[in-house]
Amino acid sequence: MFPFIQKMLSFQRSFSVSPFPILPLQLPSPMETHLWFVVPDEFKSVSLLNQYMELLSPCEKENVLSMRGEQLQKQALLARTLVRTTIARYQINNRVVDPRSLKFKRNVHGKPELEWESDGGQCPSPLHFNISHTSSLIACGVTVNSSIGIDIEEKQRKIKNNILAFARRYFSLHEVEHLSAISDPEVQRQEFVKLWTLKEAYVKALGRGFSAAPFKTFTICIKNGFRRGFDHANDLESGAPEVVVESSDHPERLTNNWQFGLFELVSSHYAAVCMEKDKTSDAGMSVPIRLTVRKTIPFVEDECISGTDAVVPIAGLIEQF
Amino acid sequence: MAARGGALLKYLRVKVQTMPTTRNPNNNGVVGLSFNSIRRRFSEEVRGTFLDKSEVTDRVVNVVKNFQKVDPSKGCDWKLKVKWVTPNAHFQNDLGLDSLDSVEMVMALEEEFQFEIPDNEADKINSISLAIDFISSHPQAK
Repeated sequence: MFPFIQKMLSFQRSFSVSPFPILPLQLPSPMETHLWFVVPDEFKSVSLLNQYMELLSPCEKENVLSMRGEQLQKQALLARTLVRTTIARYQINNRVVDPRSLKFKRNVHGKPELEWESDGGQCPSPLHFNISHTSSLIACGVTVNSSIGIDIEEKQRKIKNNILAFARRYFSLHEVEHLSAISDPEVQRQEFVKLWTLKEAYVKALGRGFSAAPFKTFTICIKNGFRRGFDHANDLESGAPEVVVESSDHPERLTNNWQFGLFELVSSHYAAVCMEKDKTSDAGMSVPIRLTVRKTIPFVEDECISGTDAVVPIAGLIEQF
Repeated sequence: MAARGGALLKYLRVKVQTMPTTRNPNNNGVVGLSFNSIRRRFSEEVRGTFLDKSEVTDRVVNVVKNFQKVDPSKGCDWKLKVKWVTPNAHFQNDLGLDSLDSVEMVMALEEEFQFEIPDNEADKINSISLAIDFISSHPQAK
């Protein structure tokens, strides 16, 4: 058994601590996304990791322990901790939520969701979330009344196959054309990674699994932005490239109800967010995604980094808060 | 499932030849072919088009091992990772593969076995044993 697990099991018996109170937050409003993330390397304290383990359901604990090796176990633990502590931050009906009390289920297609009990019995949770892991960063996006999908990748991510061979096999024709037209291999690789994160975020937002929306059946296009007259100081990126998705198989299929944001995170990662457009806003009008990004060490510290150079928008309408 | 059946039918060549007939005095002289002899012949043809499972196991394990080695960004972890590549290894839980890795893995398996794995099947292949089962039962694998 790994030393980390041994220490942890011996601690569990004698260690019971009430979690450092998580400051309650306002729920995100329409078109608002809150992105929370952890950096696994920053978590070295065994006692802290023990506290996190206490938050998990028996099933989640079992799953963490079934991962091979300390690294994977830590990542799995942090992922569940991030989801539970993040959701627990949002006071619903002025009630403080204990992260341990949250229940999760999967929708018919396997997408994890929050189980929600209101006074009238079970109904769909207004709070939506989606998680993405890399070995160096784990993120959780939260929205209200809007399906969300996120994907994070290391900027330096290299794939083992040839990029165009991979794209020809998995991406749409237009996307292959776009990548083929890039002569600089490094730029091509970066564009590939960005495209991958956007495609993943879309499929995850749809929540129907990879096989329901095979990558080849839709095209994501980053169009050079041109927005007239909207030049709010500080906030909006005027002329920000627009991200659109089109179904290759079914051109008539509704796709303009999804909105994307792509940005650089802490200089090391690309992050893509896909969310449903606010149903109350005018069809066809693109309202920016109001994005708040926070780095966290649950129970220890939270740091809001949106609006700093740790979050650099690349494409899509993003307003940072 | 239907696609597999279709592919199977396209691939099989059943030899037609006269077989010893059984005369059933009760059916007014209509000649019947022995069902068992047809079935035996059929399954011989069928077996011939599928790869042997132990060969598939070796080749799949090899593809995954080679895949794990090429991972400069993840430091010296690769030696451990290669050690954990066994016929029972789970892509995510044992080998730490993420979604992009898994897709790349499927592509590497397609190259090795020279056939295309449909996206809806690829989605379900998240362990070495599932890859082995799928490939061994697919007549187009070479």
